[in-house]
Amino acid sequence: MTPQANARAELLELINSKMNRTLKYYLDTCVRCAICKDACHQYVATGDVLYLPAYRAELIRRIYKKYMTGSGRLMPKLFEGRDPEDDVLLDELYKTTYACTSCRRCMFWCPFSIDTSWVLAVAKALLLATGRGSEILTQLADSAIDKGKNIDLYTGVIREVLKGSEEEMRRVVQDPNAGFVYDKKGADVLYVALAGTHTILPAAIIFHEAGEDWTLSSFEGSNYGYFLGDTVKAKEIAQRIVDEAKNLGVKEIVMSECGHAHRVMRDFYRMWAKEELPAPMVSVLSKVDGYIKDGRITVTPGKITEPVTYHDPCQIGRNFGLFEEPRNIIRATCSDFRDMTPNRQKQWCCGGGGGLVAETEFDDVRLKSGRLKADQIKATGASILVTPCENCRLQIESLNDEYNLDIEVSAVLDLVVKALVTKST
Amino acid sequence: MNWFQYVFAGWFVYIALLVFIGGLIWQVVKWRRVAKSRIIMGMFPKPANLGARFAKMLKDTFFFPWVLDYSKSIWLFAGAFHLAGLLMFVGHLRLIHEFTPLVSWLGANGMDQFAFLTGGAFGIVLTVALIYLLLRRFGTPYKDLSVPEDYLLLILLLLIVTMGNHLRFFGTVHVTDYRDYVMSLLAFKPAFNAAILSSNVPWSLTTHVMLACAFLIYFPFSKLVHSIGAFASNLVRSE
Repeated sequence: MTPQANARAELLELINSKMNRTLKYYLDTCVRCAICKDACHQYVATGDVLYLPAYRAELIRRIYKKYMTGSGRLMPKLFEGRDPEDDVLLDELYKTTYACTSCRRCMFWCPFSIDTSWVLAVAKALLLATGRGSEILTQLADSAIDKGKNIDLYTGVIREVLKGSEEEMRRVVQDPNAGFVYDKKGADVLYVALAGTHTILPAAIIFHEAGEDWTLSSFEGSNYGYFLGDTVKAKEIAQRIVDEAKNLGVKEIVMSECGHAHRVMRDFYRMWAKEELPAPMVSVLSKVDGYIKDGRITVTPGKITEPVTYHDPCQIGRNFGLFEEPRNIIRATCSDFRDMTPNRQKQWCCGGGGGLVAETEFDDVRLKSGRLKADQIKATGASILVTPCENCRLQIESLNDEYNLDIEVSAVLDLVVKALVTKST
Repeated sequence: MNWFQYVFAGWFVYIALLVFIGGLIWQVVKWRRVAKSRIIMGMFPKPANLGARFAKMLKDTFFFPWVLDYSKSIWLFAGAFHLAGLLMFVGHLRLIHEFTPLVSWLGANGMDQFAFLTGGAFGIVLTVALIYLLLRRFGTPYKDLSVPEDYLLLILLLLIVTMGNHLRFFGTVHVTDYRDYVMSLLAFKPAFNAAILSSNVPWSLTTHVMLACAFLIYFPFSKLVHSIGAFASNLVRSE
């Protein structure tokens, strides 16, 4: 075989290795009706066919048709069959694949419920195999893996940095013995935060007030290996938390306000590692909603009087199933809650998912496609936007500047802390 | 029947049906032979149990209710196209066996009038919908997304329907004569009777049947497998 034929055979073998029944349905069933065009914020905002969901998947379908179906082998022209090593194809595939936020809004409107992001998972594997993986996502994923291997070098520094936040916590709960709990064997809850104390402090205060038996994970929930589409790296990153949960023997893994980490832990890890989690994964939103309902913590009803709106992160709403828990928390703490239109499973993606806020090369499409979200926010007249996903928050912060929204962006737990009636009072 | 009619309105029908049925079975076998995904990828909110999942899947597949949210025109044209196609197929069954309850209700003449009106109406609906769907492909962004298969199928269907319209609106042949032809096929002795041969339809009837056969042969190997794939993929949606 020539080197080119060899490369092609290897890439086809790779696509084949990613094949499963659902993916095959998706590849065989699409009729290119393009109903998905109006579902994708990137296509609606740019009008560029590259961002049309069916077109994104079509790039992979054209390889599939030419090499993996009888009719396509016989008549490749009929399906515009393409080669997997074709540079033009791969360049296009790079732009469309890493721009996709995996919000799966197109799946919602597709008459066949085709999940474009799933087809693009194959595209990511193909891009990685041809040396075209996103550089920045690769670096971020590698540094997370590195942290897992050398955790002892990190913990001392991190815990030192967090001392200021612990001070803040003691001030709020007015308990000199309060603090972040580390490495507690047999704790009920392993709380997995993100990089940054803003995702730790509110939860720590709430856990303290609820009398929760918790311990803080040394690792962050975010997983750049997942955004990159490298399942080996993604598994390794998630594995750090799983191993920690095993070692500590915790009863629950509680995930902080981070969209994709919810799905990585509950849905994807199982597939990558071919094993179940050592303890069930629970969202911190469900946990805190439960605390309020069960009276384990007390909040002042209507404490926050400014108009508040809520953005459903795609990975927490449509793709994970938490619609009401965050709304319950908002209703318990705010007097003027205004839902966006559309909302819940029909919610527009903010435009920042899929690791996009970290990939500066996609800034243009990210900010343009955020226009839909900006318009939605404006229409509510709210002055506080609440959302439980770090990527969404970062994106909406940039939309705040770009579209002069004049809103305060807040996490859900921040509301709880604001409205909290501490036991010491 | 001349040799061309005998081949393309005769034996081609058997080949087409064999390929159509065998091909669809083969497609299902191909799907079943690939391992199921280990991951659950349905979207929320999800139906509570398997029964509700099937109900939702059938509703999504037959009514594609979400499409109505977004584009009323595509919902209308796609819906009219599929419905007219389905009813047209049902109408053709009359050529295998007369719908006797309808005849006893409407009378023989009434039945013919009914068939003329419904068949004619569906023919026109199909023609209009196909032209719409075809023209739509030439606009932005559809033309960049479309591949030759998309045009081929629409043109093929448009030709079949046009021939059917000729038989319906301009043909001088009566239903019983078409039934004779279908019966001859079922008896494996394909033949046009004297009434058909002496009429103005042999060319359009032969073309109609021949292209319909080509359509059936291509069906299992094309995007038309969405007719069965839709049930499977819409069920995955609520997994």
